[in-house]
Amino acid sequence: MSNPKKPHITVMRSQLSRARGLGSGQAGVGHWWAERASAVALVPLSGWFVIQVFRLAGASQPEVAKWGARPLNTTMMLSLVILTFYHTQLGLQVIIDDYVHGKAHLPAGLLMKGIVFLLGLFGTVSVLKLALAGSSRGRIAAG
Amino acid sequence: MVEFRLPKNSTVGKGRIFTATPGATNVKNFRIYRWSPDDDKNPVVDTYEIDLDKIGPMVLDALIHIKNDVDSTLTFRRSCREGICGSCAMNIAGENTLACLKPIRDIEGDIAIYPLPHMPVIKDLVPDLDGAYAQLRSIDPWLKSDTAPPPDAERRQSIEERAELDGMWECILCFCCSTSCPSYWWNGDRYLGPATLLAAYRWIADSRDEHAGDRLDALEDPLKLYACRTIMNCTQTCPKGLNPAKAIGRIKELQLERKA
Repeated sequence: MSNPKKPHITVMRSQLSRARGLGSGQAGVGHWWAERASAVALVPLSGWFVIQVFRLAGASQPEVAKWGARPLNTTMMLSLVILTFYHTQLGLQVIIDDYVHGKAHLPAGLLMKGIVFLLGLFGTVSVLKLALAGSSRGRIAAG
Repeated sequence: MVEFRLPKNSTVGKGRIFTATPGATNVKNFRIYRWSPDDDKNPVVDTYEIDLDKIGPMVLDALIHIKNDVDSTLTFRRSCREGICGSCAMNIAGENTLACLKPIRDIEGDIAIYPLPHMPVIKDLVPDLDGAYAQLRSIDPWLKSDTAPPPDAERRQSIEERAELDGMWECILCFCCSTSCPSYWWNGDRYLGPATLLAAYRWIADSRDEHAGDRLDALEDPLKLYACRTIMNCTQTCPKGLNPAKAIGRIKELQLERKA
């Protein structure tokens, strides 16, 4: 038996075999398209959000709560928050694909997705709290 | 994998200086990357002071002059010296191009010449392109048709169908584009690179080819195709003025089109 510790050529696989690799992953179209579609959707949503922030500048807490309880505003806010974080994880996944290789690739992607998911969920819960708390308070006040 | 520093054995040192002959009036410095596999030394940059009055107008003329009259150990590839063979692709003044098509007068100051970036170096300005050639081979760059050709004629195309191939058949496979692409630097083991993807689209777009679907299947991969981040270095650097980024964009469009 030859000594495996002796310096030797470790890869003798042909270049064509390396180029073909494991073949096509039959994926990528969905990710690519979702990235672009969510980016396009975020343009009007972000514009709307900026306008609302300016409109609410200097408003009191009850005024903002009332604004947040309106179904249209809740819908827009939820769309914005969900799409923002969905788009964020798509984009960060691209960076991980580019720069993190080998065994670290899968855990890095999972960790990133987990963090972005929690942040997105936090934003979603916050918007919902504003929406639902506002409406219940309204009912109590009315009753 | 992304690398922000050169490996220790690739750090470039200072080399020798070959001074111009006394009395030369039109001197330009050529700073050329040198590395030999025959010793264990790191690469160096040698400086050649060249009298431009003695040589032709292109960078390749200077290289040939150096090899013939100054330093015969300088190693580089060249063949046709008119931009059709793609042999003399190298990094000149920070840009991948063909030495035979790059006029010396277009470059201000010293001219730095390196091999194509991020490829293994065989010697001096000669990169190892075996991996890139194998990637090209992997996309089956030839006509695949199940319909037999007419027994007494060639396979015919309309004028419009033939026009689809303009901007692609001109590619000479110098790999200036692929080796200018950061995605290819970081993921060249799986990303096919602009040169190979341009060739792939050349066959997808060919009206005589009957295997566009198989070709798209083979490319539908997060890295083989979609590692393209539309950086556009490929199109900017192409010495033939082609647009590989557009061809890659067309492949992505077709991938989407066939899903719906």
